[in-house]
Amino acid sequence: MKSEGKRAADFKRNVLQGDNLGVPVFFRTIEETGLSTWLRTTDSLFGFYFVLLFHTLGLSLLVGANALVDLRILGIAPDIPLKPLKRFFAVMWTGLGMNIVTGLLLVTAYPTKALTNPVFYFKLILITLGVITMRMVYVRVFEDATLSEATMMMRGKLMAKWSLAFWIAVIVAGRLLPETSRYMTYGHAGSG
Amino acid sequence: MNFPHWHLLLNHFPIIGTMIGFALFVISFIEKNRDLRRASLIIFAAVALLTIPTFLTGVAAQQPLQQGRNASAALIQRHEGSAILSLWFMEFTGALALIGLWQMYRMSRPARWNVWAVLVFSFLTIGLMARTGNTGGEINHSEIRDSQGTTITEGTLGSIVHVFEPSPEKVSEAMTFSTLYWGCMMALHFIGLALFVATVGVLAARILGFVKDLPIAALHRLMPWAMAGLAINIVTGMLAFIGQTPNYVYNPAFWLKMLALMLFGFTVGVFYLSGSFKQIEHLKAGEDAPVSAKVIAACAIFLCLALITLGRYIQPIGESFSLR
Repeated sequence: MKSEGKRAADFKRNVLQGDNLGVPVFFRTIEETGLSTWLRTTDSLFGFYFVLLFHTLGLSLLVGANALVDLRILGIAPDIPLKPLKRFFAVMWTGLGMNIVTGLLLVTAYPTKALTNPVFYFKLILITLGVITMRMVYVRVFEDATLSEATMMMRGKLMAKWSLAFWIAVIVAGRLLPETSRYMTYGHAGSG
Repeated sequence: MNFPHWHLLLNHFPIIGTMIGFALFVISFIEKNRDLRRASLIIFAAVALLTIPTFLTGVAAQQPLQQGRNASAALIQRHEGSAILSLWFMEFTGALALIGLWQMYRMSRPARWNVWAVLVFSFLTIGLMARTGNTGGEINHSEIRDSQGTTITEGTLGSIVHVFEPSPEKVSEAMTFSTLYWGCMMALHFIGLALFVATVGVLAARILGFVKDLPIAALHRLMPWAMAGLAINIVTGMLAFIGQTPNYVYNPAFWLKMLALMLFGFTVGVFYLSGSFKQIEHLKAGEDAPVSAKVIAACAIFLCLALITLGRYIQPIGESFSLR
């Protein structure tokens, strides 16, 4: 009976609360590289926060352009012609590119913080879903130039709603990362 | 110029500006003058924007004031509580004024509900601002004080209003009791910024000559979404400031961001009041905007980028520099 209770308590502490997660030493290896150390510890204004700034700008482009197209498909601001909005996909892909590059740099700076946080993986899944939906909207709504606007809107309605939901969730998940992380760096618990 | 000095300079705007706006608003109905109505709504919106740095400099003035003279902490707290209450009423009045201005643009007159709402809220704001100004004056001017020593006495009206005045510590606790809650407020701040920058950005981009297939009037119809994004960010921003004041109050990046916000308001004013908007409003697909409009659009985009950059740099700059 006693050992059962102890095992349950150990399980709760080790697995559910993550007090003794086995953090891969690989994360420390990344943190000890020159790039990672520089990003994290430099006094220069061009370090971590500069990368984070461009991550924010990239998301403004990506989510802003997406939101514009999605809201228009759903019928907001109907005076805006739908077909020319095809050009905004270039803006979206630019924003996504910026965010992949800056995102990789951010994970390089704080690999333990990101990769031991379930919210981060959740964010990556949501981004994948958002990008898939983005591509589907492009193919089904904008690729065929002969479609009428009414047809375009009808085809894109469901995907536009999901797209908005995914990207809003990505922003929220991203913003909650510092509040939910369990480690700052390898071996150092605590959230930013 | 230090913070108390700025505060003394700026506080004239919310106190007297609302009275002037209210008087003009009422006169506009007596005289049946549409231009006067529009002017009074613009005054309410401008004063609401200027009330933000007024409040911020007031909070920043607390430190030098407490270190210097024998200013009563209780009097300062009362003034700050009164300021928080009148700030929310002022911002709400400003939001109503912006809605009224939009309605005047789309339907040539504000809706009835809006007229009554502006009247009621601006009137209440005048009263609350008068109390804020009075409680502020009493901090340093013992000759107007009813209170003796350290006990604060309130008149009848004062004690009724005092019930509604929040205590700054309580607001702080409400904002910081959970890091998850704080994170959600900041997530809302991001969503507001995405809304604001996307809508303003696409209109500015069109004016600059990109995406010429889109008519300007249609893109301008998105402006209520920009206002909504701005409103979300002003609310979440003010709550963040009151909630975690030490992070912001002596932070150069934060003050530069507020300056960028005021300059953005100024740019919007120039856009509409200089006739630039009238010139380009009906530009059809393919038509180019005049250079003056492009300059304004470029300024707007630059200031949006400045807002994002300075906002992002609040944390690292706050760790290294302080204006104290």
